[in-house]
Amino acid sequence: MTLQPTLPARVEKDRTTPPRSGPSRRRDSRYEALTGYLFVAPAVVLFLVMGLYTVGYGFTLSFAKWNGFAPNWEWVGLDNYKDLLWRDPVYAPRVRHAAANTIWVMVAAPVLTVVVSFPLAVLLNQVKRFQGVLRSVYFLPYVTSGVAVFFAWQYILQPDGAINSLLSGLGLGSLQQPQGWLGNPSTAMPTMIMITVWGHVPVAMLLYLTGLQGIDRSILEASELDGAGWWRTNMSVVWPLVRPITAIVLLLNLREALQGFQTFLVMTNGGPGDHTNVLGLEAYRLAFLKNLSPTLGLASALGWLLFAAALVLALINLRALRSKT
Amino acid sequence: MTTISTARPRPVRPARRAPSGRSSARIVVGVLLTLYALVSVYPFLWMVSAAFKDQVEVVRGGHLIPDHPTLQTLVDTWNELHFFDFFVNSVLVTLYTVVLTVVFYAAAGYAFAVLRFPGRGALQKLFVALLFVPGVTVMLPIVLLENKMGILGTHWGLVLPFVNGGAPLSILLMTGAFSAVPTELRDSARVDGAGELRIFTQVYLPLARPALITVALLTAIPTWNEYLLTRVSLNDPSKYTLPLGLQVLSSENVPHYNSLMAGALIVVVPVVLLFLSLQKYFVNGLVGAVKG
Repeated sequence: MTLQPTLPARVEKDRTTPPRSGPSRRRDSRYEALTGYLFVAPAVVLFLVMGLYTVGYGFTLSFAKWNGFAPNWEWVGLDNYKDLLWRDPVYAPRVRHAAANTIWVMVAAPVLTVVVSFPLAVLLNQVKRFQGVLRSVYFLPYVTSGVAVFFAWQYILQPDGAINSLLSGLGLGSLQQPQGWLGNPSTAMPTMIMITVWGHVPVAMLLYLTGLQGIDRSILEASELDGAGWWRTNMSVVWPLVRPITAIVLLLNLREALQGFQTFLVMTNGGPGDHTNVLGLEAYRLAFLKNLSPTLGLASALGWLLFAAALVLALINLRALRSKT
Repeated sequence: MTTISTARPRPVRPARRAPSGRSSARIVVGVLLTLYALVSVYPFLWMVSAAFKDQVEVVRGGHLIPDHPTLQTLVDTWNELHFFDFFVNSVLVTLYTVVLTVVFYAAAGYAFAVLRFPGRGALQKLFVALLFVPGVTVMLPIVLLENKMGILGTHWGLVLPFVNGGAPLSILLMTGAFSAVPTELRDSARVDGAGELRIFTQVYLPLARPALITVALLTAIPTWNEYLLTRVSLNDPSKYTLPLGLQVLSSENVPHYNSLMAGALIVVVPVVLLFLSLQKYFVNGLVGAVKG
């Protein structure tokens, strides 16, 4: 971070103002440290309670069996992890199925987001008029992302909803889904992925757009002078130049696909028949929707498995970014 | 490539000759951009449409433009379905969260960027590490802890975890903004006899205004929309926020989509207005957050 440069500058300043004697300067730095602690105190106190304590508590709980009401935890060691990963005849297959669904989303959503947002940014970068307006319009899905919009999607994806009537209006009646797009097991997951992409394109598009606007004009002109057409220029000059942005977009979306489950909870609740159950949703259900069964430890363990996966992604992220810059 | 040095003098014009040049290509670009704009707003169009339909018409599906547009659905949703109360609750929760976030992390960002104290680096790393803990992993412990503390089900039970959850991003943005302030300003304020608190409030805070607005916005919008923790925390309908109000409407046996969409419109409109009026800060903040 940019903290480093300020330090040497100040040290130098101190040297050029000699009148202060040794002890008072020491008092100064003690005063500064004290103010520092006072300034971070609110943030740190809140973090100790809401962050560190809950993280520690959750981690401990992942080695126990508990239903949330019983007075004592039953310590089970690594059993929760084993049960989730392979041992339990009920949970292990559910987790595996949810993992398969999650991987599906982790592959499809990031790739499609790039496939939509890069061309969109290139095109948007070319228009002068309306660029601002269009950018705002493209941004709506991100700003409003939440329950309200998911219900709107649910509404138009219904059997007699707007999407089906749009299809028949376009003469594509054969593509209609009489059970609704989320009711049919074979269209539910692809539909959820499309909605995820719809929600992720805005930020990706914005990042590409800033990237494109940072490209030196002369590079593009050189490519043009070489006789490269519009298509060639974008594919073999612009695309490689924005590769770091593609890396960021992919990794942001991977993490979101791994952890995010709000859309799924609201729109399908994992259905029909667990066809859209993802890992985050499974952890949420184990934690909150199993009333009296002792699944809280399992829920925590699943949460920590997700954390481990997120950590691996973050390390790859760091490695990728470092090698790019 | 060698042609660059001996380039014929050419009128400077937009680099990419193709689509912006020929008018047919221009039309294609326009059509594609308009198409995606339609995709972007499509659910919103139907949301607005249904919110202005009555119970009979919304069941029939029908046209985007209502045959018998009515304000009654919105009025009923606002008054009789308690969306006014939910709205007030949402405003309160969002307001508390934003104020605390800005105060806490402006102070912390100042300390991290400007002040020297032992343990500064380690603390900073600790906050960033928080970014990698998935929300679902800590949600259960938060609920259990708040139950013990007796704040589960209250608005503060939402605000505190929301504020803490915003820490990594807010600290990142505030530290960045304060580091950009020249140290000479601080030194000369000190010479003038200003204490640390005065330097912070009168020199640094005004200069970091854009970052403060960005942090406020990036906190307000997700808080306004938050649903997961809210859903498992709140039991008392009089404390419900807008997203939970929607949840209640949708879980009726036969959801009345006109009321549901009217409620959704009430959720969405304030955020859209906020975004449109402060767009610049939003965009800068997002780009800054990702690059940071």
